[in-house]
Amino acid sequence: MLGLLRARRGAVILFGLAAVVPLAVRDAYFLDSLVLILLWGALSAAWNVAGGYAGQVSIGHASFFGIGAYSAALMVTRFGRGPWLGMLVGVVLSIGAGFIIGFLSNRLKGPYFALSTIAFSQVLLIGVSRWRGFTSGAEGIPVPFRPGFLTLGLGHVGWVYMALAMALICFAVEVYLERSRVGYQLAGVREDEDAAEALGIPTRRLKVVAVTLSAALTSVCGSLWAQYIGFVDPTYVFSVDLSVRFALNTIIGGMGTALGPFLGSILITSLETYLRATFSGVKAGFTGIYLIIYGTALILVVRFVPEGLAGIAARLRVRRAHA
Amino acid sequence: MDPATGLGPAQIGVLVPLAVATILLGGIYALISVGLTLIFGIMRVVNFAHGEFLMLGMYLAFWAYFVFTVDPYFVVVVAIPLFFVVGLVVYGLVMRGVIRASHNVQIFTTVGLSTVLQNVALVAWSGDFRFVRPWHLSTVVRAGATTFNLTQVVASVIAVTLTLALVAFMKWTHAGRVMRATAQDRDAATLMGIDTDRVYRLSFAIGIAAVGAAGVLVAPLYSVYPTAGLQFVLISYVVVVLGGLGDMLGAMLGSLIVAAVEVAGSYLFGAAWKEIFYFLLFILVLLFRPAGLFGQRGAETLGV
Amino acid sequence: MPRFMFALVVAVLAVVVGGELALVGGQATSGEYKIGVLEPITGPLAFEGKRHVLGLEIVRDLINQRGGVMGKKLVFAMADATDPTAAASEANRLITREGVKIITGTFSSRLCGAASEVAARHDVIYWESSCVDPRFNKRGLKHVYRTEIDATGFGWYNIEFIAKHLAPRLNLKPNQIKIAFLSEDSSYGQGVTESARQRAKSEFGMQEVMLEYYNWQTLNDMTPTILKMKQLNPDVVHHISFSNDGVLFWRQSKEQNFLFKALVHAGATGYGGSDFGKALGNDANGVFALLEPGPGFRLEALKPEGQQIEKAFRDAVQKETGSYPLGAHQLAGSGLWLLKLVLDKAQSDDPEKFRAAVMSLDLPVGSMINGWGVKFSELGQNANDRVQHYMLQWQNGQLVTVWPEEFTTLRAKWIPLPAWDQRK
Repeated sequence: MLGLLRARRGAVILFGLAAVVPLAVRDAYFLDSLVLILLWGALSAAWNVAGGYAGQVSIGHASFFGIGAYSAALMVTRFGRGPWLGMLVGVVLSIGAGFIIGFLSNRLKGPYFALSTIAFSQVLLIGVSRWRGFTSGAEGIPVPFRPGFLTLGLGHVGWVYMALAMALICFAVEVYLERSRVGYQLAGVREDEDAAEALGIPTRRLKVVAVTLSAALTSVCGSLWAQYIGFVDPTYVFSVDLSVRFALNTIIGGMGTALGPFLGSILITSLETYLRATFSGVKAGFTGIYLIIYGTALILVVRFVPEGLAGIAARLRVRRAHA
Repeated sequence: MDPATGLGPAQIGVLVPLAVATILLGGIYALISVGLTLIFGIMRVVNFAHGEFLMLGMYLAFWAYFVFTVDPYFVVVVAIPLFFVVGLVVYGLVMRGVIRASHNVQIFTTVGLSTVLQNVALVAWSGDFRFVRPWHLSTVVRAGATTFNLTQVVASVIAVTLTLALVAFMKWTHAGRVMRATAQDRDAATLMGIDTDRVYRLSFAIGIAAVGAAGVLVAPLYSVYPTAGLQFVLISYVVVVLGGLGDMLGAMLGSLIVAAVEVAGSYLFGAAWKEIFYFLLFILVLLFRPAGLFGQRGAETLGV
Repeated sequence: MPRFMFALVVAVLAVVVGGELALVGGQATSGEYKIGVLEPITGPLAFEGKRHVLGLEIVRDLINQRGGVMGKKLVFAMADATDPTAAASEANRLITREGVKIITGTFSSRLCGAASEVAARHDVIYWESSCVDPRFNKRGLKHVYRTEIDATGFGWYNIEFIAKHLAPRLNLKPNQIKIAFLSEDSSYGQGVTESARQRAKSEFGMQEVMLEYYNWQTLNDMTPTILKMKQLNPDVVHHISFSNDGVLFWRQSKEQNFLFKALVHAGATGYGGSDFGKALGNDANGVFALLEPGPGFRLEALKPEGQQIEKAFRDAVQKETGSYPLGAHQLAGSGLWLLKLVLDKAQSDDPEKFRAAVMSLDLPVGSMINGWGVKFSELGQNANDRVQHYMLQWQNGQLVTVWPEEFTTLRAKWIPLPAWDQRK
C-alpha cells in the first residue's frame, strides 16, 4: 500500500491538495473552479478508459454525459424521485448505449468509428430536442436545488468532495487498468488488435467492456453535473464540443496514463476560466483565443508529444536513468 | 388528415417539385463533398476540419460581396487558386507530419485544426450571422408549374461539372493515374518511384480548392458564421461513406440519396426529423455496408 | 515517481492557484454602485448579447445623468456567459470576486437558468431582462425577477392580435381561422409556439392545420414543407424564425406561389430583425412581428415621465447606432431602468427590502421605456398586461408599429395579403 502511494506521488499530492484546500479556502469562486477541474478531470479519465487504454477513440462521449444528465434531471422533475436513482437509471441506459457503441467499435476502425460516435450523439441530441412531451424538448430542464445529500443539494465544499470522490473513482479504474491482467490484455488490443486476437485475447468482448465502463462513468459525471449546474439543455450536453473537450484534456495531459486526464484538466480548465474572467467585457472577442491555443496545442501535442504532459516526465525519467 | 400520406392527383403534382428539390439539394451536397471524397480517397485521412474550409469559403464570398460587391460567381474564380495555396500550406504545416501516423493522431490533428479555424474566424469576424445576398438569389427559373431557384441550379451544375472534371482528371491524366496508384498501395507506389509526398500535397490542395469554391457558391443559400461548418462536415461524411471510399461518382449518387432521404423525410414526417434520417442512414450504412453502397466489401478495414 | 513529475505537478498547481486567487475584481470606489452584467458576449448568442450590453450601457449613462442609483454612480462588472457552465461559473465570480449583490442579464433561457441558480444560492438578486423560459419564475426562488414577459406572453399577444385585430378584418370569426404553426426548434421557438397554440385552441377555438418544427441551422430548403402547406391552405401562418429561415420561407413561398392571408412572428430574431428587410426589400411587405415599439409609435400615448425617458433613450440609441432601437436594446435598457426605479424605492440592495419595493411598484402602461407599466406577481414576474407589446409590420423596408392602434399613427396594411407581386 505504501509502495503504491509512493509510486503515485503525483496523484497523492494532487488529490490530497484538492481534499485539503476546501478546509482552508472558502472563496466560492475558487471552490467552484476546483469542482469544475475535478469533474472535467473525471470525465476525461472516463474517456481515457475507452480512448487511451482500449484505443477506441470516440468523439461522441457527450452521448453518455447527456444520458446521465437527463436521467438525473428527469427523475427529479418528472418523477419526483431523487437524483441518485436518476444516476442509476442513467448508468443503465448508458451501458445500453455503450453496448451499441461497443458493437460499432468492433465493426469499424479508427476514423470511421469516431464518425459513427459523432453521429450517435447527434441522433440523441435531435431526438431529445424533439421529444417535448417527455424531455421538454429544446427548452431544457431546470433542475431544482434542494439542500441535502440525498437530493445532491450540496454547498460548495460538499461539491468539492463529491467531485473529488468521483475523480478518485475514475482514477482508481484507470490504475486498475494499468496494473491488472485485464488492463494488459486491453493494452494488447490497443497496440495490435490482430496480434492480440491471435494470442487468444477476447478482443471484441474487451472492447465492449471498456467502452461500456467508460460510458457508465461518464454518465455518472453527467448526472452530477446536472445537479451542480442546475440546468440541462440538449444542445450543450450532447454537443460535439463537449465530446472533443474530454478527449482534449486527456491528450494534452497524457493519453493512456492515469494522471494525464487530470493534468490536462487542470491546465485547460483553469486557463479557460482565467481567460474568460480576464477578457470579459473588454475585448470580449479575445476569449476565443484560448480555443485557438488549445487547438494548436492539440495539433502539436498529438504529433510531437503524444504522451502528453505525463509523457514529458516519463521521457526525462528515461534520460535521467541513462545519464 | 396529413395530406402527405394520401395519394391522389394533388400528391402526384407534388412529386415533381419534390424531385426537383431533391436534385438541387443533392447538387449542393455533392459540391460540398467532392473535395472530401478526393482527399479521403487518395490520402485515406478523415479530415474533421473539412467543414471549416467550407466556412472559410463562405466568409470569402461574404467579405468579397460586402467590401467590393463582387458576385460569388466571380469570387469562385479567385477562390480556387487561393484555396489551392491554402491547401498546400496546410498540408505542409499540419498534414504532412501525420500522414503516416496512427489514426488517433490524424483524427486529433484535424480536430485541433477544426477548433483553431473556427475560433480564428470567431475572433477575427465575431459570431454575428452574415448573409450574402446577390441579386440572383431570388431569381427563379420556371418550367411549367415547377420553379427552380437559380442559385441552387448553378451550384448543382457546377457540382456536376467539377465532379466530372475531377473524374476525368483521375482517369485520363498521368497525374491522376499516379494519384490513384498511390491510393491503392502507398508502399508499392513509392517503390515505383512515385513521390508520394507530392501526390498527397497535390490531392490535398485540390480537395481544399474544391471545398473552398463550394463554400463560395453555397454562401448565398445559408447564414455565414464561424461554426457553420459543423453541419456540413457530417453530411459530407454521410455522402462519402455512402458513395464508397473515394469513389467520386459514387459520392454523387450518395448526395442524391442523402437529399432524397432528407426531402422525403421532411415531407412525410416534418422537417424536425430530417437530420435524424440521414444520421440513422449513416449508422446503418456503417454497420452493414461500410464500404459504401458502391465500394468493395471489406475495403473499410483495409488501408484506412 | 520522478522528482521532475513532482516538480511539474507542484508548478502546475502553483500556476493554477496563483491565477485563481489573483482574480480579484476591482473594488468599487465609494461613490459607485456596482452590479453584475452577465450576457453572452462570445459564442453563438453573441450577436444579441452585444446589443443587450449596448442597451444597458446607454441606459446606465442616462441613469447616471439623472443622479445614479441610491445616490451613487452606477457601474458594471461584466461577465461573459458563453454556455451554461460558463454562465454559472461567471455568476460565481461576479458574486465572490466582484462582490455584486445584483446580477442582470442574460438573454437566453439556457444561460439564465444556470446563472440564477447560482445567484439564489448566494442570496444575490437576479434581475433577468429577456430570457423567455416560462419556468424561470416557477422554481420557488425568491430573489429572481424578470422584467420582460416570458414566451407564453409572446404567444399570448400574437393570438390576441390574430383574434382581435386580424380576424375582424378578414371577416372571419376567430374559431373559423385556420392556423398553421411553423417554428425553429430552439427553446425560444418552442416556448412561443406552444403557448400560442394553447391559447389559440382553448380560448378561441382556432383550427390548427399544421405544427412543424425544424432546425434553422441545417435548413437550406423549405420546399417540402411549403408544398405540404399549400395543400393544407391555412389562413394565418404563425412562424417563429431565428435567422435566415425567415428569409428562406418567405422567398420560397413566393417562388412556389404559396398564398395565405397573414404571417405572424414574435421577437427580434428572424422576421423581426433588420436583416429580413435588407434581404428582401419591398418583398418583405406585410409580415407581422411582435416587438418593442418601432417607428410610428406615439409618444403622446405615454404618460409624461414615460415620454421623457423613452425619448431620451431613443435619441441616445440613434446617436450611438444610427438607427431606431432594436428589440435587444429595448429589453435590456428597460430592464435596467426598472431596476433603477426599484432601487430608488428600496434605497437598499438588501434582498428583503428589495423584494418589498419590487412588489409595491404599480405603474400603468405608458410609464417608462417601451411604454411599459409595472406590476410584479408574487413569483417575480412582470405582468403580461403591463409589459405592453406591439405588433409591427414590414412596410417598404421598415418595421413600423401598427397595433395596438391607440399607440401608433400607422395602420396595418395588406390584410389579407394580396398576390405576391401586388404588395406595394
